[in-house]
Amino acid sequence: MEKYSLIGKSVKRIDVTSKATGEAIFSADIKLSRMLVGKILRSPYPHARIIRIDTSEAENISGVRAVVTASDTSGDKWGVFRYTQDQQFLPTDKVRYVGEEVAAVAAVDEDTAIKALKLIRVEYEELPAVFDVESARKPGAPLIHEQYPSNININIKIDVGDIEKGFQESYYVREDTFMAPEDSYFQGEPYAVAAHFDQSGNLEIWMPNAGPHLKAKPLSNVLKIPLNKVRVRKVRIGGAFGGRSEISPADVICALLAKKSQRPVKIVYTREENSIATRQAHSMVATIKTGVDKEGRVLARDITCYMDGGAYSSTGPIAVSVPFLCMEQAYRMDNVRYNGYRIFTNKPVRGMFRTHGRAFACGIDLQLDMIGKELGLDPVQMRLNNVRKTGEYTSTKSYITSCGMTETVLKTTEKAKWNEKWGKLPPYHGIGIGCNSVQTGFPMGIRGGSQAFIKFNEEGGISVITGIVDNGQGNDSMIVQIAAEELGLDLNNVQLITADTEVTPSDPGSYSMCETFIGGNAVRLAARDAKKKLLKIASEALKVNADRLDLRDKKIFVVDNPEQSISMSKVVRMALGRGESISGEGTYWPKVDSRREWVENPSGQLSETFSFGSVVAEVKVDPETGKVDVLEVTAAQDVGYALNPKVIEGQFEGGVAMGGQGGMLSEYVLWYNGRVLNPNQLDYMVPLATDMPKINNIIVETIDPNGPYGAKEAGMSVAMSAAQAYCSAVCNAIGVNIKEFPLTPDKILTAIEEKEKFKQNIK
Amino acid sequence: MDKKTILLKINDEEYSITTCPNRTLLEILRDDLSLTGAKESCGEGACGACTVLLDGLPMRSCLLLVTEAEGKEITTIEGLSGNGKLDPIQDAFIEYHAIQCGFCSPGMILTAYSLLKNNPDPDEEEIRHAISGNICRCTGYAKIVEAIQAISTKGR
Repeated sequence: MEKYSLIGKSVKRIDVTSKATGEAIFSADIKLSRMLVGKILRSPYPHARIIRIDTSEAENISGVRAVVTASDTSGDKWGVFRYTQDQQFLPTDKVRYVGEEVAAVAAVDEDTAIKALKLIRVEYEELPAVFDVESARKPGAPLIHEQYPSNININIKIDVGDIEKGFQESYYVREDTFMAPEDSYFQGEPYAVAAHFDQSGNLEIWMPNAGPHLKAKPLSNVLKIPLNKVRVRKVRIGGAFGGRSEISPADVICALLAKKSQRPVKIVYTREENSIATRQAHSMVATIKTGVDKEGRVLARDITCYMDGGAYSSTGPIAVSVPFLCMEQAYRMDNVRYNGYRIFTNKPVRGMFRTHGRAFACGIDLQLDMIGKELGLDPVQMRLNNVRKTGEYTSTKSYITSCGMTETVLKTTEKAKWNEKWGKLPPYHGIGIGCNSVQTGFPMGIRGGSQAFIKFNEEGGISVITGIVDNGQGNDSMIVQIAAEELGLDLNNVQLITADTEVTPSDPGSYSMCETFIGGNAVRLAARDAKKKLLKIASEALKVNADRLDLRDKKIFVVDNPEQSISMSKVVRMALGRGESISGEGTYWPKVDSRREWVENPSGQLSETFSFGSVVAEVKVDPETGKVDVLEVTAAQDVGYALNPKVIEGQFEGGVAMGGQGGMLSEYVLWYNGRVLNPNQLDYMVPLATDMPKINNIIVETIDPNGPYGAKEAGMSVAMSAAQAYCSAVCNAIGVNIKEFPLTPDKILTAIEEKEKFKQNIK
Repeated sequence: MDKKTILLKINDEEYSITTCPNRTLLEILRDDLSLTGAKESCGEGACGACTVLLDGLPMRSCLLLVTEAEGKEITTIEGLSGNGKLDPIQDAFIEYHAIQCGFCSPGMILTAYSLLKNNPDPDEEEIRHAISGNICRCTGYAKIVEAIQAISTKGR
């Protein structure tokens, strides 16, 4: 008999039939009776004092049911950390970016709401503004928040080992600066939120969210209502990619409008609003100095990174740390100093993004290529000499329980025929590799663990109740697969109740790549708890010790005599007949160092386990147009154990599209004085079906000792390592190292031109 | 603006709608008829999330005035399955894991359906070209192409 009946198999996802038929309801699809349309008035200035807001004319229009401004709020400032409380969701004193929320209207229809917005009179006093990290840090630069001198929001300092000694002992040292502008999540679904208060003061609210419990607490704080009255409901989510974890001003505004109008209100963002007024990724400038020995082993690294945080803190301390942490996990860095700064500018707020810093990650990898060239070592050897291994500690003291990094390097390069191609490809034809690692969860205080419940019906079917969220990646299916496997059920014997703060227990949400590991483990433990109770009753009925029994195909059977069995439904009915309950409860709390803190103490176990991956890309560059044709991409990741291989392949392929194809070749935000010039789909270039290369997927399994069935984070590191591989391959193809990303045709042509000029001069 | 009565034939059912003629077909489908399978993602005809079929051809309903759809056979994603049975293209999308978040899926599936009706034997390039007006942010398109290939005549 196979070890598992459902786990490890590419079973059909349970949520997709409704998505294939149009039945699935996303936030913008929600309709409640007497529902109003909400619209937000946004700041036209990047930095301005608000002198007064006059809403009287707007309020008098027929069809307008509520207008809200800062005077409808407590004025409290919110922040993810106690030391980052700097954002009001409707500001009282000043606006800090073009697009910031100033007021909002709820009306009977959209036309009326838009008409009313135009009649809100806001008197501003314009203030000088800053739009990049360099001018924001200059003495005399306008301060965006009084309490942050030089507009420095966060400084993460990590200093491990002895870098001075490391550089002294180095055979070769080089320093390079890499930079990239912001990229955008560009989720398929523009942000939308629907809210409703009942007569008892309970708030019901729907929005695309990566963690309902992470949304409920700030809503409770800001609206000053008890947490038990905040019901963040489950709804289908059209993608997150790191962007939908935190509370959005729209959530608060929609709730305020619903409260004031005493009617349900829905706000649906336009594509432009989604690009400007939801979180986007940071732009960054990373200076990396690396010293190596003759074999290319890194002896010291000194990194300074400036990230443009926009106007508010958001998840700043995490966002500044994670780009570095991913790389210290991927590569050994015994002597390393990291200085990460997040700088405030008068631009929209930046958050966590799936690819965690193109400039940083691609810089680390591209520099390894450059160093290898000096030493006569090929990029693969440079990686193999530096990659992380099982049993090591990262620079900031996280123990690595399982690591298949070397295997991913070997397997991708073998599949991509690296040895036959490296150095042997025709002109403008290149191959490159990137390696990366991702956390499986962060220390998150009291919200870091997950709990799950399982209840049986009298036919032996179950309901699973958990706070786990599905943003589209397949988490709902993952839970059902685990519960059904443990209890010997079919997928359709399982009902799922998830992501609803009224019903489901606390869970970190689909955030920090932890759902399979933390939420999955909790569900598995809940199922095992229930199983124990079932086997106890069955053991009495079958007159066999419980440890000789197991469950499969809705039957409890004697392991050494499978003929002797009893149906689960009978066991459940026996329990009910005896007045006993059968249910399961499971809690999983990841083993992380709770003393670890992003700024104060960046040391200790960050995550219980980490994923590792490599991507190889092969490209052809047209030297006339600068256009890159990606011929083939091979992606591998150590996922611990593949619970559903096809789902994981989908994550790999999506990661290559977002991190590599889009992130490295075409995606970037364009600015003019704090205004986003390409917020729409025609101008922000996400990859199309015709752009994508052939992708080879290689799943590497190391069976993590603590993951459910050995599983850990699956798919995210591919997005980053794809960016790195694309960068490495394009630079290899043109024979120039471009340090400003993404690698758009203009940059490629300039680089080729300069190389040619240089050659001419030498002659 | 004066309202106008418009007759629409959607998924073989007839609807008489009195509305301002400056509204888009997408607004009518979603707001008036609760056919919310068609999604609005970009609102400017670039992403394909609002795709419906007009006389069998994929069209962006966010760019069509409702009056332009009068007298045409309109098919939305809700009309593709019936009597408890999915269309084979829907089954293929499910079977081949071509759906992740699902926001683009209704438009993508209708485009694929129309492609196969007009060209039962598309090669990979033709498939990629046909769906290049439907943007998916999750999948990297690989499994979508596989799903369509699987039920093309050659794939069978």
